[in-house]
Amino acid sequence: MIAAPLVSVDKLKIHFPTKRRGRTVKAVDGVTFDIEPSTTLSIIGESGSGKSTLGRALVCLTRPTEGTVLHDGTDPFRLGRSALRRHRRDYQLIFQDPHAALDPRMTILESVREPLDIVGEIPKADRNAQAHGLLERVGIAPALHERYPHQLSGGQKQRVNIARALTTRPKVLVCDEVVAALDVSVQAGILNLFADIQRDFGLTYVFITHDLAVAAHISDEIAVMYLGQFVEKGLAEAVQETPLHPYTRALLSAEPEPLPSAMRENNRIVLKGEVPSPITPPAACRFHTRCPRAQARCSKDAPDFRQLRPGRWVACHFAEEMLEEAGEKAQAGPAERAGQRQACE
Amino acid sequence: MRLYPHLALVKDVPMTNPARPPLLEVKNVCASLGGADVLRNVNFSVAAGERLGIVGESGCGKTVMGLSILGLASSAFHLRGEIVFEGRNLLDLPAKAMRHVRGREISMIFQEPMVTLDPVFTIGEQICETLRTHFKLARKEAREQAIDALAQVGIPAPAERVDDYPHQLSGGMRQRAMIAIALACKPKLIIADEPTTALDVTVQAQITNLLVELSEKHGTALLFITHDLGVVAETCDRLITMYAGQVVENAGIDDFLARPLHPYSSGLLRSLPRMSKRKTALPSIPGRVPTVAEMPAGCRFEPRCSLAQAPCKAEQSLLPAGEARKVACCRYDELMLPGVLN
Repeated sequence: MIAAPLVSVDKLKIHFPTKRRGRTVKAVDGVTFDIEPSTTLSIIGESGSGKSTLGRALVCLTRPTEGTVLHDGTDPFRLGRSALRRHRRDYQLIFQDPHAALDPRMTILESVREPLDIVGEIPKADRNAQAHGLLERVGIAPALHERYPHQLSGGQKQRVNIARALTTRPKVLVCDEVVAALDVSVQAGILNLFADIQRDFGLTYVFITHDLAVAAHISDEIAVMYLGQFVEKGLAEAVQETPLHPYTRALLSAEPEPLPSAMRENNRIVLKGEVPSPITPPAACRFHTRCPRAQARCSKDAPDFRQLRPGRWVACHFAEEMLEEAGEKAQAGPAERAGQRQACE
Repeated sequence: MRLYPHLALVKDVPMTNPARPPLLEVKNVCASLGGADVLRNVNFSVAAGERLGIVGESGCGKTVMGLSILGLASSAFHLRGEIVFEGRNLLDLPAKAMRHVRGREISMIFQEPMVTLDPVFTIGEQICETLRTHFKLARKEAREQAIDALAQVGIPAPAERVDDYPHQLSGGMRQRAMIAIALACKPKLIIADEPTTALDVTVQAQITNLLVELSEKHGTALLFITHDLGVVAETCDRLITMYAGQVVENAGIDDFLARPLHPYSSGLLRSLPRMSKRKTALPSIPGRVPTVAEMPAGCRFEPRCSLAQAPCKAEQSLLPAGEARKVACCRYDELMLPGVLN
């Protein structure tokens, strides 16, 4: 049985005008994908790749320039004002900076209760009880519920933000770099909490992150974004073990691994330069200017974002070749599998 | 009552490789703020050309330690102990003499290049300022050296970039410019405080590679302050773990990763999300770093430590544990703590 996608994005483009007339920042430039209910999709990429803009569009905070975002089959941007407001309850966003996201003049209980106050459907005592319950669910002791944000640590504040996002019982949570500002020890606790509440509430997550280890840890699927477009998407293990786009390989290879020197890879792929401007992205394949595998055709025609295997999407002219190489490596034995990351060099 | 009085009697032996005399020795450094110790008996040394990492959660005193070496820590901190650099105690050095050390012999790279570079001067002017402060150089010579420094850190077209203002450069290029300033006078030690935290992984890889390459080429020692154990593993030879203002472990990087001796070190390593541990619950360290006002009297990690026993109520000092290793835990011998491999 195949569940219907909860979120369906079709040829989405979001362009912003710049001060100079006629030029636009192509933040998101033609992205198509579906998200199945109760799964986690991570979107990874460098800063400026359009991850956050895409995340905002998923919760109706940014209007598409072209293309559509469908929630359970309906287009939220076609809803009337009050219908859209009701609709938003199901699609919540959590931000990176846990402190900036909380009102400094409200106690955390008030912050968590606020969405219920706005909805205003139940008596105040019940709203308070619900807010207390959610704060406890995310691991905030009752003694702290009347405190103000500045009296809490970063990890506690992020827990409060999670509780607040849960008050309206959403279906989808978009988490934009939610653990980036936290220490690893605290980050681990928050990631565990995300996993627990997904199980309890049947939530669907979109995790926007630049941290590959975090993405690999929590996701069912990973999408890799570069200059407003997806370059690869697939199951987390598959993308991580046999990346089929040179950019994904470079990202995985650049990730610093806390391993003893004997176990670390020495031939890292270090990309030259930085992400080009999204105002004038390179023609044809957008990655060709930094790609270690680029050939003449890469600057002439853009590769299609195509399905290589069920659920495995890649936009590279050499994806089939890389898949074959990966297949040979896999047959050659697990010892050589470690060397796969270098295959594109 | 102290349960292990002998522990306090053993003097800390600074650990140095006999082949490489220490360039910098930090001896029993304490920094107090309103009567409480923000740093407490910090001991470590850096040999010439060595790359030492300092890791720990935020609020553990890593940055205060780094700033104290250069005399840049806030004057609210009362510093005691000795910071010996090539035979001179930097804590006793008059302000004027300290200015000759700062930037010339020891330099620093900060986390936020946009905040630390002056927006109203060009990159070239900022490098020349450092050079002309320490050497008698004509403007033209200084400019040439500035262009050289930019070329060394891999900035393309350095002769043109030298006249750029910081806002005209990208984040990675700004951090390269910061490194160029830090390297301009060919210092013996560079203190890098979270130099790659604000950067993307791809650019982070470029910057860490560059730091290692330059350190090897010029024999510059590096004190690398970071919370990222992956970055330490790829750049440093050894590392110290700091917790609540104390050094709790000092070890070679490979030994540390495979078999940490302090429960806090092990906790940090185990809480890292790893690709190989997908979708399993991550062991996190409960609680948080104590603030200055709430420092426990005994082992500072004891309230958060799942392995604490009665002896842990006593203060722990950093003691030798095998060859070239030190740990501040009275139970290290009986515990087999997991590292990154298990």
